[in-house]
Amino acid sequence: MTDAGHAEKAVMNFPRRDAQDKITGRTRYTTDVGGSEVIHAVLLRAEVASARIVRLDVEPARRMPGVRAIATADDAPGLYGIGIADHPLLARDAIRYHGEPIVALAADTLDQARAALAVIELELAPLPAVPTMAAALAEDAPLVHPDWKSYEVLAEGSVRQGNVAWEATVTRGDSDAAFARPDVTIVEGCYQVGRQSHVPFEPRAAVVSYEDGRFHIHTSTQVPWTVRDVTARALGVPESQVRVTVPAVGGGFGLKFDASIEPCAAVLARMSGRTVSIVNSRREEQMTCLSRENAEIRIRSAVTQEGEIVGREATVLMDCGAYGGEQVFLTSMTAHTLGGNYRLGTARLSSRAIYTNTPPNGAFRACNGVYNTFALERHTDEIADAIGMDRLEFRRRNVLGDKDLGSTGQVFEGNVLGPMIDRMEALRASSGDRKALADGRLYGRATTVGTWFIFVGLSAATVNLNSDGSATLVTTGVEIGQGTMMQALPQIVAASLGIPPEQVIVKSADTDAAGRDLGVGGGRTTVSIGAASVAACEEVKAKLLDVASEMLQTDRSELVLADGRIEIAGRPGTGTTIQQVIAEVESRTGPVSGNGSFTAPGAVSALPGCVAGHFLDAIDLPVFAVHDCELAIDPDTGQVEILAYRVVQDVGRALNPRAIHGQIQGGVAQGLGYALHEEITINDSGAFDQQGFESYHLPLAADVIPVEFDLYEGAPSCGPLGTKGAGEVPILNVGATVACAVADATGTKVSSLPLTPPKVMALIDGRQPELQHHHISPVWVENTLQSA
Amino acid sequence: MSVTLSVNGEERTFTGDPRTPLIDVLRDHMRLTGAKSVCREGFCGACTVHVDGEPMVSCLIPVGTLAGRAVTTIEGIAGGGAQLNAVQQALLDHDVVQCGMCFPGMVMTLSAFLETSAQPTRAALKAELSGNACRCTGYERIIDAALSVTGQEVAAP
Repeated sequence: MTDAGHAEKAVMNFPRRDAQDKITGRTRYTTDVGGSEVIHAVLLRAEVASARIVRLDVEPARRMPGVRAIATADDAPGLYGIGIADHPLLARDAIRYHGEPIVALAADTLDQARAALAVIELELAPLPAVPTMAAALAEDAPLVHPDWKSYEVLAEGSVRQGNVAWEATVTRGDSDAAFARPDVTIVEGCYQVGRQSHVPFEPRAAVVSYEDGRFHIHTSTQVPWTVRDVTARALGVPESQVRVTVPAVGGGFGLKFDASIEPCAAVLARMSGRTVSIVNSRREEQMTCLSRENAEIRIRSAVTQEGEIVGREATVLMDCGAYGGEQVFLTSMTAHTLGGNYRLGTARLSSRAIYTNTPPNGAFRACNGVYNTFALERHTDEIADAIGMDRLEFRRRNVLGDKDLGSTGQVFEGNVLGPMIDRMEALRASSGDRKALADGRLYGRATTVGTWFIFVGLSAATVNLNSDGSATLVTTGVEIGQGTMMQALPQIVAASLGIPPEQVIVKSADTDAAGRDLGVGGGRTTVSIGAASVAACEEVKAKLLDVASEMLQTDRSELVLADGRIEIAGRPGTGTTIQQVIAEVESRTGPVSGNGSFTAPGAVSALPGCVAGHFLDAIDLPVFAVHDCELAIDPDTGQVEILAYRVVQDVGRALNPRAIHGQIQGGVAQGLGYALHEEITINDSGAFDQQGFESYHLPLAADVIPVEFDLYEGAPSCGPLGTKGAGEVPILNVGATVACAVADATGTKVSSLPLTPPKVMALIDGRQPELQHHHISPVWVENTLQSA
Repeated sequence: MSVTLSVNGEERTFTGDPRTPLIDVLRDHMRLTGAKSVCREGFCGACTVHVDGEPMVSCLIPVGTLAGRAVTTIEGIAGGGAQLNAVQQALLDHDVVQCGMCFPGMVMTLSAFLETSAQPTRAALKAELSGNACRCTGYERIIDAALSVTGQEVAAP
């Protein structure tokens, strides 16, 4: 069968197979494992932002009832991290953030464990704290990591110094010449965003046992292999001694894209010989959330009267908190998010992860992209206004098209954003404007564009074709609610083998059973595991067709797999059942299986010499989005009501349109929370003020509206059957679109998110001073270590 | 101290601190893990159960106040086994589930509401769901499914 034929067969609204257990309460998440079998772990966490540990005595806790094991830094000596190994599992000498774990302890009951924690003796000597990025970059700022030079660097090309954990830069073309042109208008803007908390309903949790010299970590994670690696590093044991399995995960959104508390339970399991359960309390989960990072951004552009962007310079400061973590990697992404969307004559971008004495940040759906798109699209509207051009027309003229260069000099293929803007115009025309609903309030509207990319990379798959004609797909993919393991993957395998998707069994993740995988994130699962699965199916098909060709006396090129049969192409009902062919293969060579693997195709690259400090300098699989929002603002309260929200999303091929609808509706809702009311503030003790649901405001049913959408298919994609990931990108430009619409409604400069009612009132009343970043120089090179 | 109450039609006795929240009694002592312990402060609704037929958040109810009362959990809502009630069937048919953690609570709230309110408006349904937070779905497709139970089909399942 042709690829196109497979693709058509794969497209369907295949329902989730895990839904019935989830709506009847039968699903066993990690937090549902328990009973008399397990003992319970808790962590002693720091209650200051910065201090030296003078004395730690856990002996009183050992004498408390029910206590089975106590671990300190001595029991987990290794440092781990992304790019730099800077992170201890348990604090040894220094406290670097409020909430940092110091001691892990397990007891028969949770109450006993908490009682034992309370008698641990800890003496601290306060140290000056670095609460903000401005403080971290000040001259003579205390160093969050005085020993930063001694850390093991895990990735090539590091650029770092002191409180600058990592720096990635792009330099393409003669920027100074571009800005010096006499025919350009120079537009400059400062932007900032706060943190966003994922609030997965299942907190981070693990159940760990130690048997036959190996750890078995059953955990709520998006990255089983990272948990395996980090546990091995932290504990100083071989990776092969760690097995990770993952049941249904009750929400992740990127929070679970790193290991966190799992290795603590592992140490305690080895010590006690018991199965140890560790579950973050909701307060712990909030207070130590690896949030979407706060960021501070300065952008400067040189634009001609015709709207050509001849030069762009930007500096993005990303707060990594006390340890580098994901932000070290995310510095690479500014080139493709803030540096995306538009053709640029020249580009200079500095993207820096900054250490502060605050809880570490992490990955969150469309990480880095959400706030860089906000800043870029606000800046874009400011440019259009400055040169007197219609905002959408300015975008039409500048969006990336076929053979255009991205910021790092990568060549983009296909015209995608331009036609998507047309589709948005059509969607708006068909649904009609909602201005009348504003009913006397301030009305605003905006259309924005966004660039994301699928984070392709290592995946492995094995397909076992069973004698009954069913197939078992074995991967280490994880179901966090996104649906890939329930829908896209069985659909892809089924279409490939000509069997119904109900006949594809998808094994839950087990690092002992399947090959390495980068994990669920960045919209990569359908693409990367999907591609590995297709490759595995090809091997299975080859084995079947070799034998079927003989059985049916037909050349294998004329045979197709369809409807559970192997038939002669174009002659349904000919041939034989797949079971008969399997039986014949089994009798000759044994059971039928195939293996497939995938990694980044690496077919694209940056221009030589353009980038420094990047983990990836070109993107294999760009994804674009166009969003449109209409809103009304109550001029007396600053309350924003969303009147209409529309999405045109580049999906490559929509394998399961209904499931994609679910991702768009959910992703936009999460973005509306980010744009309007999800706020984290950090107090004098270095802790978040928002410790639970009462103070951290999630969008509720009344806060959302049905999102109108149009799926844009057919853009170039290296994904299987032309797919692109669809779950990550719906949140990408929600903050941007709402901010641009609020600016439109109020006629003011909107420079920060979230747009809470007090902030909107200040804008309306002219009480919001223009945002200035005094710690980001208007002279671009001064924001890099190149200037040092 | 002991408290005897009905849980899913069965008489059960809990011995322990009467201030223990019902959610902990259900999950930790009776191992009924369908109700989810998420925010523990009455905001998220994931632990919703029925007490004498009324939906209530079980994290805020001390078990000692429930002597002789009838508690129904998600495990008992459709009569047990693999049966689904109309709300559950609609959620299944519309394929609205994602991570699933909020759904036991959603089912308990919607099931009670739709028994007493035959033809609710979309706005009324959304107001009723204000005590059930969801981080994945953005709610609207859950509302679509719930409306379909009342015969108000708004979107193709």
